[in-house]
Amino acid sequence: MDSSTGRAGLIRPRDDIGSMDKLAQSVLDDVLYNIISDLVMKTHREEKTAKANTAAIHIEKLASDASEGSTPDSKPDVRIETDAAIYEDGKVLLKGNPLQTTKDILCPKCHLPRLLHPTDGKGAKKPDPTVLYCKRQPFIEKPGCDIYGQSWVGPGPGRGKKKKDMEKKEDGPATPEQRPPNVLSFPSATCSKCKRCILVTRLNNHMGSCIGNSGRNASRAAAQKMSNGNSQTDQTPPSSQKATPAPGSRAASPRKRDASEDVGEESENAHKKKKLKASNPKKVILKTGKPNLNKKDSKPPSQLSQEHKAGPTSSPGETAPKKSTGLGMSPVKKLKASRPIPNSPLKNGGDAEVDSESSMTLSSPPAVAQTTA
Amino acid sequence: MAARPVTPASPKNVKVKTPAPGTPMYGCEHVQRLLTQGQEVMNSSISHYKMILRGIFDTTPIVAQTTNNDGRPVTSITSNFLCLQCPTTLDENERLNHGSKKQHRFYVDSRSGSLYCQMCDDLVWDPTFEDLRIRKMGTGSFSVFSFCNPELTGALCSLSGRKRKHEDLFSENDLRLINTNTTTASCRANGLRGIYNAGATCYQNVVLQSFIHNPLLRNFYLGDGHHDCSIQNCLSCAMDDMFQDFYAHETTNGFTAASILSAFWISEKKAFENLVTTKEQDAHEFFQFLAEELHERNGDGKKPEDGSEHNCDCVIHQTFYGKMQTATTCQNCLSTSNAVQSFLDLSLGLDNVNQKRKKKSQFSRPINLMDCLDEEYLNSDKCEYRCHGCNSTQQARRQTSIKRLPNVLSIQLKRFEFKQGGRDRAASKIDEHVQFPLQLNMLPYTHQSRIREGKENKELERSCIYDLMSVVVHVGELDTGHYMSYCRVGEQWFRFNDHKVEMATISDVLGAKAYILFYIIRTIT
Repeated sequence: MDSSTGRAGLIRPRDDIGSMDKLAQSVLDDVLYNIISDLVMKTHREEKTAKANTAAIHIEKLASDASEGSTPDSKPDVRIETDAAIYEDGKVLLKGNPLQTTKDILCPKCHLPRLLHPTDGKGAKKPDPTVLYCKRQPFIEKPGCDIYGQSWVGPGPGRGKKKKDMEKKEDGPATPEQRPPNVLSFPSATCSKCKRCILVTRLNNHMGSCIGNSGRNASRAAAQKMSNGNSQTDQTPPSSQKATPAPGSRAASPRKRDASEDVGEESENAHKKKKLKASNPKKVILKTGKPNLNKKDSKPPSQLSQEHKAGPTSSPGETAPKKSTGLGMSPVKKLKASRPIPNSPLKNGGDAEVDSESSMTLSSPPAVAQTTA
Repeated sequence: MAARPVTPASPKNVKVKTPAPGTPMYGCEHVQRLLTQGQEVMNSSISHYKMILRGIFDTTPIVAQTTNNDGRPVTSITSNFLCLQCPTTLDENERLNHGSKKQHRFYVDSRSGSLYCQMCDDLVWDPTFEDLRIRKMGTGSFSVFSFCNPELTGALCSLSGRKRKHEDLFSENDLRLINTNTTTASCRANGLRGIYNAGATCYQNVVLQSFIHNPLLRNFYLGDGHHDCSIQNCLSCAMDDMFQDFYAHETTNGFTAASILSAFWISEKKAFENLVTTKEQDAHEFFQFLAEELHERNGDGKKPEDGSEHNCDCVIHQTFYGKMQTATTCQNCLSTSNAVQSFLDLSLGLDNVNQKRKKKSQFSRPINLMDCLDEEYLNSDKCEYRCHGCNSTQQARRQTSIKRLPNVLSIQLKRFEFKQGGRDRAASKIDEHVQFPLQLNMLPYTHQSRIREGKENKELERSCIYDLMSVVVHVGELDTGHYMSYCRVGEQWFRFNDHKVEMATISDVLGAKAYILFYIIRTIT
């Protein structure tokens, strides 16, 4: 190596360093050059291939237009020439460098021009409103939005936020506002068993009570079973069953299987103790929540544990990361939360309809329902 | 440098790749002139190009990186150019001289194998040459199909998940059959949608997203792999619907996984009774549940048993299941017994690795995936063992290696530990960052490499290379928190947070505290 630096010329060694240092620096410079060259080559390949194909699509279209009555599949027997390509004997031959001869990029599938810049967010450019673009568009990079530039209204008042609603009742009435088309609301889905329309955020709880065995009836059945003769119950140890209404008694930690595999009895007990202790301060919630339980036939006991997890009083360490994943939480969006309900007025039926109506006007942070999990 | 041997004229005449509609026949006018001079020139150009590619991708790079500068070999780190028309390697400056002296106009980049045209003064992406290069680069062979070519994977989704040779894949008949019997999906339907959280179901969403972006499962479902099913609330039918929704519809709104959820609730799997609740659950357990349930719907009807060898050709077994072999050697009589068992995923412990590392050095380099794999599938451990030879309980050495690698390798990092402290031990989460690579070589952990120790085998190594496909991340505590995932589509990464999909950079992905990793094999042979 006789030159003072490598190919990239980005790293210029000082004169006063030893020859080994110089060598090392010029090797590093060469490696940088290779990295840059690989990146450029990849982009070059994408761009040039797309443009070459565009030239071909364009001229094939001209050829099939020129020869009437030909089916799109057959190769018309015409000779056409454009700036970028020649069409002859059903073959497309390039003329010149497609990078220079072709400006647009046509989608190889729908043959419409590709939009080359995102319409919003980072690097956005206004598209030409007169052009019909291919539907595959550059993804949008904008805080608070997804790759299609969409955002969501808050999941709406639901079971998860009732206590908060009560605390902040005076926060002001809702003023209905038109929401922009790219702000979506949470949809509803039909329960496969009872065929009722349920807001998606409540679907799991609903199915739990409708199909599964976590509803009130199930816990009653379990209680009955226990009083009838408890030694046969196999899955749940009796100790935990007695504690059923208390949150966390079913030890449903994300890693519970592994945990129970490796720890013995004693640590399981310790685990439970911890959990019970943690849930103690929230006993209050349990009580205030009771009246609602009547309205909704099937509030599963597990809901309580969820509630306190998501609730405002839970430890900041737990909720903080979850909250950050929430949607943009401007009051405006929250108000729209009620939207999905009018769409499915009847089918929501007993399921929390009353709650949502009453808490619609409230504006506590809407992150709750979604923060769990 | 030795001159390349002149290849004898191939008995088979090479043909230009038939261009698909919407693609030009040649990369540029000059390549066209070269390849239309006559069959002889055509044959020699193609065979010469193949030979150059073999030199670049199959042998040590030093050969192609070395030029002969007046009898003095010079090896460079940056690209050289190999003349397509004669056996000469040149650096960038010599290239022009050689061209004007010999009238040779085409050169091959010594690092990438790309074709350079002197007259265009540009790289040329000729369909015929480029096709050879892509195949050689990805698979080491000129005829096998590779996943690293995004264009090919796109086309494959209309075909069944069966392993096919590249040639079969693109026969005229197949294409015609596809064109006449299918409707093309909208350009917007790209499989990128979020999934709504139905109330503490993010542990399901992350696994579902990794399934949706798994090319093998996608091909199976979009290829109508699960059909004529009359089972009520079948989970596989629900998956089928989900794939349709993701890849055929234009909607960009989130997906509501109602049918999957109800199949989940209705399922009566004893082993997963504790999983079916409205609470937060473990994504890894849900993955196991999905795998077993889908195997039952598509497979041989046998229950996959833990600790045994299970051969089934259902889509789940073809995708996820591998086999590992445990060799136990008695320390007394030195007899070895082997046990083979199927695995759905590799569960790697972190605490052992952590402890060992702490003992070894004060410098705390972050743990990486290979440390964990070494610990589990390279190093042996001691155990008590009832030896048949000695007919008594003996100390034994146990070593596990991977006998058959799966097409999609799922790795769970056991991010929990038990705090040492007498009787009062509680499970807690290891929140440490574990480094993992974008490209994973599993060769060292295979049984084959154990047998042929030391011998270098490019072919074998190539068949053990995996690319990162999805990453499942858990944030929060052991018993409550949130799951997100990263999935790769082509070369772009996306972050899936329930219904919200965002672009992600590679450093976002590699910086994540992974819980489950999905790696996909690079080449299917």
